[in-house]
Amino acid sequence: MNVTQLADRLRQDPKFMENVTRWEVIPPRPARTADFPACLDERLKPVLAQRGIHALYTHQARSVEATNRGEDVTVVTPTASGKTMCYNLPVLSAILNNPDARALYLFPTKALSADQVSELYEIIEAMGVDIKTYTYDGDTPAAARKAVRQAGHIVVTNPDMLHSGILPHHTKWVKLFENLRYIVIDEIHSYRGVFGSNLANVLRRLLRLCEFYGSHPQFILCSATIANPKELAETLIGRPVTLIDDNGAPMGERHFVFYNPPVVNRQLGIRKGAIPVTRSISGMLLKNGIQAITFARSRLTVEVLTRYLKDMVRDPLGNAGRVRGYRGGYLPTERREIERGLRAGQVDAVVSTNALELGIDIGGLDACVLCGYPGTIASAWQQAGRAGRRQSASIVFFVASSAAIDQYIVTHPDYFLHQSPENALLNPDNLYILMSHVKCAAFELPFEEGDGFGNAPGMEEMLDYLDGENIVHRADGKYHWSAEDFPASEISLRSAAAENFIIIDITDPARHRVVGEMDRFTAPMLLHENAIYMHEGRQFQVEKLDFDACKAFIRAVDTGYYTDADLNINLSLLDVEKEETVPRGYRTAEGEIKVTALVTMFKKIRFDTHETLGFGHVRLPETDMHTTAMWWTLPPDLVASLPSDTLKNGMMGVANLLRIVCPLYLMCSPQDIAVVYQVKSPITGEPTLILYDNCPGGIGLSQKAFGMREMLMEKALQVVRDCGCESGCPSCVGPVGEIGEDGKKTAMYLLKELLK
Amino acid sequence: MNLRDKLRAVGGSSGGGKPRSRETGNGDCRHLAVFRPMSEFPGAMEVRRETLARLSAAELPESFDPRRILYLDTETTGLGGSGTVAFLVGMGYLTDGGFEVHQFLMRDYDEEPFLLRHVEAGLNRFDMICTFNGATFDLPLLEGRFLMNRMGRDSLQRPHLDLLQVARRLWKLRLGRCNLGRLEEVILGNPRENDLPGSEVPQRYFAYLKTRQESLLQDILDHNAQDIASLCVLLTHMAEMYEHPERIRFSEDVYSMGRALERFHYPEEARRCYRLASRGRTGSLASAALAHSYRRGGERAEAARVWEEMIAARRGGVLPYIELAKYQEHTMRNPAEALRLTEKALALSSEATLRDSGTVQEIKNELQYRRRRLIRKMEAADRKAREAEAAAASGEGERKSNGIRNDVQGEQGL
Repeated sequence: MNVTQLADRLRQDPKFMENVTRWEVIPPRPARTADFPACLDERLKPVLAQRGIHALYTHQARSVEATNRGEDVTVVTPTASGKTMCYNLPVLSAILNNPDARALYLFPTKALSADQVSELYEIIEAMGVDIKTYTYDGDTPAAARKAVRQAGHIVVTNPDMLHSGILPHHTKWVKLFENLRYIVIDEIHSYRGVFGSNLANVLRRLLRLCEFYGSHPQFILCSATIANPKELAETLIGRPVTLIDDNGAPMGERHFVFYNPPVVNRQLGIRKGAIPVTRSISGMLLKNGIQAITFARSRLTVEVLTRYLKDMVRDPLGNAGRVRGYRGGYLPTERREIERGLRAGQVDAVVSTNALELGIDIGGLDACVLCGYPGTIASAWQQAGRAGRRQSASIVFFVASSAAIDQYIVTHPDYFLHQSPENALLNPDNLYILMSHVKCAAFELPFEEGDGFGNAPGMEEMLDYLDGENIVHRADGKYHWSAEDFPASEISLRSAAAENFIIIDITDPARHRVVGEMDRFTAPMLLHENAIYMHEGRQFQVEKLDFDACKAFIRAVDTGYYTDADLNINLSLLDVEKEETVPRGYRTAEGEIKVTALVTMFKKIRFDTHETLGFGHVRLPETDMHTTAMWWTLPPDLVASLPSDTLKNGMMGVANLLRIVCPLYLMCSPQDIAVVYQVKSPITGEPTLILYDNCPGGIGLSQKAFGMREMLMEKALQVVRDCGCESGCPSCVGPVGEIGEDGKKTAMYLLKELLK
Repeated sequence: MNLRDKLRAVGGSSGGGKPRSRETGNGDCRHLAVFRPMSEFPGAMEVRRETLARLSAAELPESFDPRRILYLDTETTGLGGSGTVAFLVGMGYLTDGGFEVHQFLMRDYDEEPFLLRHVEAGLNRFDMICTFNGATFDLPLLEGRFLMNRMGRDSLQRPHLDLLQVARRLWKLRLGRCNLGRLEEVILGNPRENDLPGSEVPQRYFAYLKTRQESLLQDILDHNAQDIASLCVLLTHMAEMYEHPERIRFSEDVYSMGRALERFHYPEEARRCYRLASRGRTGSLASAALAHSYRRGGERAEAARVWEEMIAARRGGVLPYIELAKYQEHTMRNPAEALRLTEKALALSSEATLRDSGTVQEIKNELQYRRRRLIRKMEAADRKAREAEAAAASGEGERKSNGIRNDVQGEQGL
């Protein structure tokens, strides 16, 4: 059965359609092309012609021309629009003209690098020219590294390797730095938040070294569709860019189905879970031979769904192998094998976290199932883009979970279909991040008095501070690195924590093997002792978590349950930046806080029924995070007029509403911020609602929220007012069971008072 | 909170500020010289070019003179990367009267260019550099420092002998780790007392920058001067080993030297070492290496003789049987003898005295494969012989058979 047949059948199935809130058909789009720009090297054209390329898509031609004019370029294109040509063509042209020229390619992950290089190889080989393209990452053998450093025309790497493997050893890369002509950064939309803020600083370091070596590289950047690609690109590289967003690539017909699982308990407003529904939709696709990808929100859900789907086709012939899980933490070889399997059609179903959201080439799939809203419009489109390429029809199912934001999207599909995607925010001047990179930069090349660091503020004070701490040493008007450490090894670009945890399988005592890794913030949640850790649908129990050595030891088990840990959060005040007393008699402020996170217990949850079987305790150290926050206190007379339980329920309701509204209007993903309420807050000593940036140092969301604080309250009130439920549901203030009978009423009352 | 307080909150503070150390403005770095009498370096002047050529693949200067080797060692602020600085560079060389060490120390970062210029001048006065781990550490580091100070790097482009690499080839088998301190103790019989561990060097220097107490550096200066003198003594010791392998006490070292000589294409001398070593603890290893060496040199009969000796002495397990079987099959064209040896080897491997079960199984599989092939070969030869007989009997005349395939190419040693 093909996609069109399946779509027709489903549309005639009233039982299915009664849960569909919208069936959007996006019509096919024809190609728009332009002639090869004159600036392209003649040797490229016959090779492109051999590959069936006789003209460029409009966006490709424009980016080649703009690059040729010497501009820094940002190309915005959806999946499968031939964006690699936008940078490969100018780069190859430049090297053909000048064999000394060099280019640096940055991809967010190793997998992507491997993929893009193979395409580049093909073109170079077809031309029969000597252009050396090398991947330089953690997997590059030591013996090959010297050749890469000296002879690589195009060096393909990732930000982490640039940060810790190339920049600190720049004297070994003289050829590259002296002749660097282009810096290509693909998938820049993935550089938001901490990762983006780090990359912006890595680029500041890179440009500083280029200046030392006398080169002036140009940037070619590529992004998926986001609201602010130009702003993002300019913040990343600290220079103005030319935006090219006129996509000329064709696209087949696409169906977008919004599916809201049926309500199973009308009184409590409880719906059937997204996981069982996804299980049956993905299962239906699998049975009908429609190659599909299922995206789940968490690693845990990926494993649970993988297991369900594998069980569905398991037989003695090994057909369970047609279903694969895919997520961060699998080893590279395993991932490559799954990607190949998808391209070759040996894998019919893959269940993935957003790890496959990026442009890893897995070929065009027929269908995509989103189990829960990925959190942002941009990611939802990225994931949906995995289904359908240029010619054939494709179908995307969005299965809403009971989370408020999912319910908002599934009941307001127009918001999703017509709202522009989110802003990608980053803050290169986040003090934590900036200071770490100033250290790395000082290690790489001494700062001279009056030197800047990109456009970072306060460099003089920063260097004086580091001098005072004996980290740099001032002599002869220069700040020299004067510590024994290797500063780049102390920062991980992807999280605020430095080291990843290694996961070691000790099932076979003779052969301990590393099966994966996990970042420091997630480890306490998923790798605490007695946690059930799942890998490719197989279950393991964590036997020991060595927190200091960053190692988790696991053993294969077969249990009927999985585990889910509870996170406890404590807040304390560091500093008030701005404060305002509102005439109604309450305060609202912006400042810095310390967030202490602690996992204390976990639940055991049975497969299939998802009932809680029991609890366990977790003994792990706390993790601290300094970040930016904003908050509202409540007017004292209002507080005095309400019984304390009523007040608490009302605050919980308002906090739930803010959690729905804020990501939408701050244009960020829900996990980027946290909203909490405290009846007696250690920050203000009063009942307080607090919103904070959920990453160390913050990326500017709280400041943005402070600027729109009144509007956020208005929107929250609007959501609760418009909601049809009687006294609370997961789509507004939260379910009655959580906020009590009067929760909805009180939340509305509080909001109205705050807006007076 | 102002920026300074925030920086403290973010970065933590060690509390007290430091006394402001300021640039020295001396217009040069510190220069110290140490002289050692020739009596501490017996034999050093007698090192010959031919001997050095056997130590490594390093290119050697045309006109060789032991006095024109520069022994160099650096003390650094860290373990590498562009932010690591060589704050002390010591260079030593033999003179007619003894051994001179010149040390250049930067008292602050502004003296680095002066230090580097001394190093450059020093290097330019000699034909050859000798270091311990210089190939991966000291020389690339200096190269980086020259580059960052926008100086030329030509002074480093001269023959270089890295004694760590030589030492690893000679002693890794016996000693495992081969750091200089261990070699001084075990090989040169001259353990150091009160030596500053290398890992404490950077902290000492940073403490000096902070306090300006020169006494903090004394241990580092001593340590560095000692390292450099040891380089010369060690090189002399190595050269003597190569000149007189028969005087070496440990058969492991002789065997290791044989391997090193073979690697640098001195097969005759290598075999001499293997023969010496075949009497000691490394007997089987050395004999096998000797046989392999003969085989590589095309002297198959010599190789076979060594394998036979090993079998006679019951050494080397199944290996000599397998190798002899190959020899009998492919060189002597004697499948019957090859089969006999193969079956012996199979019987021996079934005793399973080898530890790693995976390897034993692999060997057995290969032996079984060889056995079947030999049997097939013999049957084919038999058939052919009968056919030839029949043909001869029927008066068809004789036809020469050149059909025996030479399998040597496809043979993989076990």
